[in-house]
Amino acid sequence: MRKTSILFIAGIVIVLALGFLLPWTVRNPFYFFVGYVVLQYVTIATGWNILGGYAGYINFGAAGFFGAGVYLSAFLFTTFGLPLPLCILAAAVFGAVLGLLMGYLTLRIQGVYFAIATLGLVVVLETIVHNISALGGASGMAVYGPRPPAWSPGPSQYNFTIMLVIAVAAVSLARFVEISWIGRGLRAVRASEDAAECSGVPTLRLKLLACALSGAVLAMAGAPYPFYTSFVEPVTAFSLIIGLNAIAMPLIGGTKSWAGPVLGALLLASVQQIATVTISSELNILFVGLVLIAFVAFAPGGLSDLFGRRQGRAKS
Amino acid sequence: MMKTRREFHKLAAATAAALAAPAFVGSKVFAQDKPIRVGASVSLTGPLASTKNGLIGYELWRDDVNAAGGLLGRKVELVTYDDQSSAANVPAIYSKLVDVDACDVLFSPYGANLSAPVMPFIKQRDLFMIGMFGLAGNDVAKHDKFFHSGPWGPNSGRDWARGFFDLAKGQGVKKIAIINADLEFSKNAAKGGAEVAKEYGMEIVFNQSYPPNTTDFSSMIRNINAGDPEAIFIASYPADSTAIIRGVKEIGISDKVKIFGGAMVGPQYGALLSSLGPELNGLVNSHTFVPEPTMQTPAIKGFFDRYTPIAVKQGVDPLGYYIPPFYYVAGQLAAAAITGSKSVDPAKMAAFLHANSVDTIAGKIAFNEIGDWKERRVLMVQLRGIKGNDLEQFRNPGHQVILDPPSLKTGDLAGPYNKARAS
Repeated sequence: MRKTSILFIAGIVIVLALGFLLPWTVRNPFYFFVGYVVLQYVTIATGWNILGGYAGYINFGAAGFFGAGVYLSAFLFTTFGLPLPLCILAAAVFGAVLGLLMGYLTLRIQGVYFAIATLGLVVVLETIVHNISALGGASGMAVYGPRPPAWSPGPSQYNFTIMLVIAVAAVSLARFVEISWIGRGLRAVRASEDAAECSGVPTLRLKLLACALSGAVLAMAGAPYPFYTSFVEPVTAFSLIIGLNAIAMPLIGGTKSWAGPVLGALLLASVQQIATVTISSELNILFVGLVLIAFVAFAPGGLSDLFGRRQGRAKS
Repeated sequence: MMKTRREFHKLAAATAAALAAPAFVGSKVFAQDKPIRVGASVSLTGPLASTKNGLIGYELWRDDVNAAGGLLGRKVELVTYDDQSSAANVPAIYSKLVDVDACDVLFSPYGANLSAPVMPFIKQRDLFMIGMFGLAGNDVAKHDKFFHSGPWGPNSGRDWARGFFDLAKGQGVKKIAIINADLEFSKNAAKGGAEVAKEYGMEIVFNQSYPPNTTDFSSMIRNINAGDPEAIFIASYPADSTAIIRGVKEIGISDKVKIFGGAMVGPQYGALLSSLGPELNGLVNSHTFVPEPTMQTPAIKGFFDRYTPIAVKQGVDPLGYYIPPFYYVAGQLAAAAITGSKSVDPAKMAAFLHANSVDTIAGKIAFNEIGDWKERRVLMVQLRGIKGNDLEQFRNPGHQVILDPPSLKTGDLAGPYNKARAS
């Protein structure tokens, strides 16, 4: 095993240990509500980056996958009483199938046309949910979650820990994709799809795999959401803000490695959460826009690229 | 003068006690002066930003209470955050209000969809909350410390627009058409309306929902005419309300229609009243307050005298009849609970409101066991005699005549709709 992999696993163990211990040491539930949102965005940004960053296919439909996960989980829990881990698993499978279908239908088109097609997915799914009474339609659906298990002191802390586990799983998957043959193939697709195809890279299969993995992670991010808000309704579940953040966070953090989306999400989601309760939400949206423009103009490789260049310069 | 060691110790202890005394005394006084904190989330941005004029209601109430010496001798402090009209932001905001800001009283966000996420939270934590305009907001949670400031009344999910059907029944309506936007409030209104229509033995000849953002209603109006209804119940949002009114003007409606409207969001607000002007004549629509003689009191007049200049300055609805008075009412309910129970303990405050009725600027309010007003007081008003687009005419009586409830009635239904429209 490589040194970086050992360090990565050690980091994960520490983060998970902290995640299980913090709820017993930090008493104020507010931090777990905020922590949940930040971790949710870490997962979303990581999921988006598998297709958008590694393969270079800009997906505007992140909210569609997220919303699908939200509604599947809410439906399975309220109708069949499935426990949360099974709801999360089901959401991941559903997201993967949805990703595969979307990929099959849209991957023949590229660039801006692909982006528009993915945006259509959100509108289609939202309209479907609006018209299914079993999902509450436009009125939404109340989801009174189960009591938290004994190892967690309260519902907000339980949701936080579950989201942390999902985020860690998503980041591990993204890192695996990045360092394996899949990542190498996807990077070849991003550099030049035609050249990759000519060199024997199975581009369509790889892109479909990336769509499925990305869809699974995005849907998984939505699965605990009904238990966080206790209520789901289509406008929020399929909100374009989710899609916007899913793109902005990896672009700010860097799209080339797994660390980029994590950094971007930690930075942007934390600032958004703080700004909402301190300055104003209008300034919050303005801030996201300004930071995005600044990064695209001055650091197109994102934060991780910026750090990488500094370290490279320091070494030389 | 020499001091023994024992004397020196006594002197040191006395000096220390004397120095520490103001701190002890001071802290006691400080605790008594600690303000009562009232926390709320308001939709200052996003799709529900048109409801932000409610904040003026909260602020006027706070200023009035503080000018009168506060509650239980303590000042009142308002803590508000913008939920961006998104349910996703609500849980963290209310946790901040309770766990960080230590608010004693909570006001819910606006409407059912934003209030729903906070209901399990207040039930689990056993907190006191005044609900803001959430239809049937406590019907699922059934929390005994939740009270509506809005006049929906009991069984509001089904009954809040019953007044429209009572009027239709009074006109001998047998056939009714129902259309609604495919969104939360309008969908619930149409569903409840259909149930009441069936209860009254009316035949629903047309019942259709339409996607949000629909702008052309011509085919739908033709289909309604083909069904030959005597009443048309519409549950719509501002943009579609305008499009429907304009569509009816262009295409026309059957002379048999006796009553038209019901649950159209938009004609309650100054912007739409001013832009549509005389096109609104004849419309029968729901409202919460109109300046008719049966509703005007010095208290509510005083409220609007102060509301209007602030609203004009802030660029929000200058009339503000629909929402702001009930935000002030929310404050009055909280104040009554605190002063009546002489406490900020949720159980004591809730017990007081369950046991006593409260005088507010919107009249006397009594609550049932899940915090609904015991009596529904949603108004059905008919817009009449509107000339031109001057907004000031709506401040005078006679343009929004109350048809229902009977206790506040200021006129009879003018019909049929086409005749009332032309008047």
